[in-house]
Amino acid sequence: MPIERVRPGVVKVVPRKLTFAERLYLPKVIAGMFVTLRHLLHNLLNYKKLPIISYPEVKRVYSERFRGRHILTAREDGTTRCVACYMCSTACPAECITIEAGEDERTREKFPVRYDIDLLRCVFCGYCVDACPEDAIYMTRDYEMAIDTRARAVVGLRDLVVPPNFPVEPMGWRPYYEPLQKKGTAGGTGLGQPLREAPYDDDAPPNPDLYRGE
Amino acid sequence: MIVDNPYVALPPKAKVYNEMESLIYHFKLIMHGIQPPVGETYVQVEGGNGELGFYVVSDGTKNPYRVRCRPPCFTIFQAYGQMITGQTIPDAIAALGSLNIIAGELDH
Repeated sequence: MPIERVRPGVVKVVPRKLTFAERLYLPKVIAGMFVTLRHLLHNLLNYKKLPIISYPEVKRVYSERFRGRHILTAREDGTTRCVACYMCSTACPAECITIEAGEDERTREKFPVRYDIDLLRCVFCGYCVDACPEDAIYMTRDYEMAIDTRARAVVGLRDLVVPPNFPVEPMGWRPYYEPLQKKGTAGGTGLGQPLREAPYDDDAPPNPDLYRGE
Repeated sequence: MIVDNPYVALPPKAKVYNEMESLIYHFKLIMHGIQPPVGETYVQVEGGNGELGFYVVSDGTKNPYRVRCRPPCFTIFQAYGQMITGQTIPDAIAALGSLNIIAGELDH
């Protein structure tokens, strides 16, 4: 054993005896580089099997239930479905949703004057979608949220509200609609999503041959 | 995954929109949360590197009084000091890799 207890609190450490090749240092460096080189050659020869895509041109298709950027759906007259009930901001574990409620003078209905989501605080858990009693907030499969300043991470009503009849069917996380999944469907959530034959193409592991950008 | 217990799981959306009781349960669960009994418990599951456990103390309200996570890597990592004592620095890197630690679990 390299560790020897001399007295409480003090140990004597005997270093491991190095072999001659290890003491020369260079042979082991070359041996280490050889491992790297072997991986490089192996990947170069089998580059078609590499699980890579040419990202900006080719985008990976994620699951039907992917939790990406939020949207606020609208009614047919173009107003947002949100009634500023604060359920989503209560359910939010990251406390990233700020709502200010207002009252419509004509219909006497509550609506959000301000609805801000701080995407840097958001943990994309989808609890706001589950909490919403109005089907107002959904999560899309959009994951490209690059920004250049922190202030831009806060998205408001202008960025979130989508036009009426916006096609939300194939989009990311939807509320949980039915207690039981239909047999033969993979990950569908009932009424919210179109039931398709299993397995979903999107749920399958990415096929590198399919998504290679050429 | 969802359990069939209306006191814990949110009701399905189709019921929330059509049944008064489900809407009440929905509001109660979001606003007041799950109401666990007063007490403490430790639950463990099999994690990737060992036992992952959570010790939760409840005072009967929505938020736990105390939560302690017992991550598998934190325990395994305690052997690291003995493993690398007297060895060379490259050995330390290899030993760390063989432990397969997750740095987030060591943050205690």
